[in-house]
This record gives sequence, C-alpha cells and structure tokens, in this order.
Amino acid sequence: MIVAEGLTRRFGDLVAVDRLDLEVRQGEVFGFLGPNGAGKTTTIRMLAALIAPTSGEATVAGQKVGTANQEIRRRVGVLTETPGLYKRLSAYDNLAFFARLHGVRDVPGAVERYLKLFDLWDRRRDLAGTFSKGMRQKLAIARALLHEPEILFLDEPTASLDPESARTVRETIEELRSEERTIFLCTHNLDEADRLCDRVALFNTRLIKVGEPAALREEMYGRRTVVHLTDPRPGIEDALDLPFVTGIERIDDKLIVTLPDPDRENPLLVKRLVELGASIRYVNELRMSLEDLYLDLMEDDDATA
Amino acid sequence: MQRLSVILIKEWRESLRNKMVLFGVIFLPLFLVGFSAYMVIQAGGTDNPVAQIVLFNTSLMYFLLLPAIIPLAIAVYSIVGEKEQATLEPLLATPISDLELFLGKALASVIPALAVNWISFGLFLGVTRLFVGSVPLQTLTAPWIASIFGLSPLLALFSVAVTMLVSSRSSDARAAYQFSSFAILPGIIPLIVYSSRKTLVNLTLVGLEGAVLLAASAALLFFAIRVFSREQILTRWK
Repeated sequence: MIVAEGLTRRFGDLVAVDRLDLEVRQGEVFGFLGPNGAGKTTTIRMLAALIAPTSGEATVAGQKVGTANQEIRRRVGVLTETPGLYKRLSAYDNLAFFARLHGVRDVPGAVERYLKLFDLWDRRRDLAGTFSKGMRQKLAIARALLHEPEILFLDEPTASLDPESARTVRETIEELRSEERTIFLCTHNLDEADRLCDRVALFNTRLIKVGEPAALREEMYGRRTVVHLTDPRPGIEDALDLPFVTGIERIDDKLIVTLPDPDRENPLLVKRLVELGASIRYVNELRMSLEDLYLDLMEDDDATA
Repeated sequence: MQRLSVILIKEWRESLRNKMVLFGVIFLPLFLVGFSAYMVIQAGGTDNPVAQIVLFNTSLMYFLLLPAIIPLAIAVYSIVGEKEQATLEPLLATPISDLELFLGKALASVIPALAVNWISFGLFLGVTRLFVGSVPLQTLTAPWIASIFGLSPLLALFSVAVTMLVSSRSSDARAAYQFSSFAILPGIIPLIVYSSRKTLVNLTLVGLEGAVLLAASAALLFFAIRVFSREQILTRWK
C-alpha cells in the first residue's frame, strides 16, 4: 500500500529524512515512532504528496509520489499535528467544506455519520472555536475520515484527548483496520502503539528498526521467564544446571531466566527448580514494554551517531 | 471549478463573521459614498470651476480607492487567518490544485471588492440624484465610466497580488494589513494626482494608469502564483 525506496528530504544542509526504505501493507496499522524532530511529519508530508522528496521514490495506494499527487491526496486522509479547524465556522460547516473539496457525493450523510460517531452531532451548529481541545481533535479526525480514504496518516491522534475520547479513537482505528484500510500512525504514546500497531518502525531521521512489536522485543531482549519464589533461596541461580538456559539474573525473590523457547522449556525449568528445593509462587513471562525497546534503541542510535 | 466555488463560499462565510473584514466591506464604502455625495453636492453649489473640478475628481478617486482597499482585509485574513488557525496543511491535503487554491483566495477578495464598489457607485448616483435633483453630468463621462469599470478590476487585482505576497511572509494579520496598505500605495498615487488636477480626468490618463496597473498586476500575480505552491506554503511560509 505504501512503498518508499531511498526516500530523502533535505532542507538546505539539513537532512530531515535520510534514505527511508519502507513497506506498509494493506489493512495494516503501522506505527511510526521517533523523537520530536526525527522527520516523522516530513515523511507523512512526502507520502501524502504534500511536499516532494529530494531524492528517492515512493508509491502510495499504487500511485507514484510526484507524478500522481492529486490522485494520492484523493485516496489518503491526513490528520495533522494540530487540529487546524476554521474557528469561525461551525463543526458542521468545517466538515462539509472538506467533504466538498474531496468530492464526497453525499455530503450531509457523511458529515452526520462522523459527527455522530464522535459524539459531536449535538454541537454541530457551534463554532469550532468554542470547542475544547479534545472536541477539536475529534472533529479533525472526523475530517480525515470523511471521504473514506484507503490510507490514513494519523499524526498523534489521541494527543490531548480525554481517556474516553482516546478510546473512541482507538476503537475507530481498530474498526478501520477491520475494513482493510491502512493506517500510518505517528504517536508518542508507546503503549497505544503497542496495543494498536501490527508493526512499528523506529525512526530518527533514518530508519532504525522495523517489525512487529513482539518480534522486535524478542530480537532485542530474547524471551525471558520470571520465576517468583516464596523464599529467597540464596545460590539457587548458581545451582541451576540446565543447558538451554542462556542467561539468569536474580532480583530479590525473583529469578529472571532467558530461554530460547520458553513454551517448551518452562516446564523443565520449573521442574528443575523444584528439585533444587525452590518453592515457586508463580511464573510469568517478562514482557518488556515498547517504551523500553524504544528508549534502548534510541540510546544505541545516539551512541552510534 | 466546483472546488473553486467551494473555496469562495467558505472564504465569504468566514469573512462575514470577521468584524475587521466587515468594517472594510460595509462601513468604509458607506462612509465614502456619503463623503463623495457631499462633495458633489458642494460642487453644485459653487461657481468656482476649478473647485468644482477638484471636488468631482476627488469623489471619483474614492471609487477607485475602494477596489484597492476592500480586498486588503479579506485577503489578509484569508491567508494569515489560515496560518493562525493552522488550517493550511489540512486544506493542502485535499485534492485541490495550487491554482484552484490561489484563484479561490484571490477571487474571494476581488469579487466582493468590485461588487461593493459598483454598488457604492450606484448608491452615490442615487444619493446625488436625490439631493441635487439629477445625476451630475461630470460623473457619467467616458473617463469616469472607464475608470469605475475598467480600472477597478485592475486595482483590485493589484491589491490582492500585493496582499498575498505580503501575507505569505507574515504571521500577524494586523501587521500584514498595515504593510499591505503601504505596499499598494504605488498603485494609488496616480489617483491622488487625479484629484489635484485642475482639469477633469481624461481617457489618456485612465489608459495610462490602466496600462501601468496591468503590467504591475501581471508581474505581481506571476510571483504570487509561484509563492502559492504547496511546497512553498508548507516549507517556506512563516
């Protein structure tokens, strides 16, 4: 659905996006994660055919950026960093204006559908300037969806939303995924990215890593089992003599054991620990957060740079 | 064409809710109509032919000032307003072309300016007829008609092109308005010369002013269209 090859954008001497290679599949929620100033917005602008790449190529919805820009803009929806609404126009007029620009056939129907979806129908006649931050954000998301785009670029969609509204947005994203629409999601909310994204890309001017969150975690940290002991039996970690254990760490009454294949090896591990006299309260898998992964990879990237 | 009309309607809806724009579009023309009518009435009451000419020329000048002044507020708020509300990027993310956007913004300022100017002129004729008893002959001569209907569109275009260029570099509406007001002065100076002449405005003067305005507007519009590209708007506009 989105393919970028060597996509680069320079502003004078500054390289904002450096040789980005990327492939986003249809129906995928793709998280694009990186610090402020990493070039995420510039990437979205290039992929949404708003600005031209300095070099490299990109194809979006089967259309080549640079040669079919208008067609690309017809097929994608963009939620920009700031809601960007006409404050002197009503919520209804804001959406109707953009629906007409996109050539939506049933403008009243589309506007009503999305205002109702985001609980804004009762406020449709109010000026957008009187809306709270959260309501503006919801209206901006509704605007990005109005013309039923195949691909949606969302830049921080849940920023400034209250938990209930944020959940509505997340549910909408899930629903769009079920409709086979492709979502390119930029977010600083890593928990959200972890929950929503099929794959994530870690990006800081250039692509650092791309993959499924779970696969990236496994690649970075391996799979680790946490054994919670009822009594902190000293030296038990040294006595553990299983050949498949690739690492072991003790934190208070917990043993953190790195295993290549925990599904197969966990029972053997538990059995051996019991044989060594351990009393086990419970066992679980250590799940490193996407935030840990993000911070570690960014730190590595900084060190490399 | 359809998207152009969508832009026009949106611009006018927003303008109708902007007090600064409304002042320029409604109150200023009414004030100038009243003032012009007053001068023509005064001219009818004086026997001094030079004073009569100056008064007639000055009242004509007002109807050439209006098409230059009215677009200022509309165009400034149309562009700086988009910047202030951060609406340019969502707008540019639609399938609208750069030219449609430019024309939509330009025409949204030019059309009301011309409509208001010509309505004001009609109002002026009506008021003078009411108070003088007839429309003064000096106001329906070929130079007057050529000025009102020929120079007005050029003045409006000139003003819009200047304002768009200024607004593209400004993030403050008032500053852009003030700077644009100064920047359109070269287009207005010949009008001020009209009002100081001791002979009535003639076709040669109107033609000369028209030629200069046409050339200046064409040059300015060329640059304004270049400034109005997505790339420029998103990466260079402040």
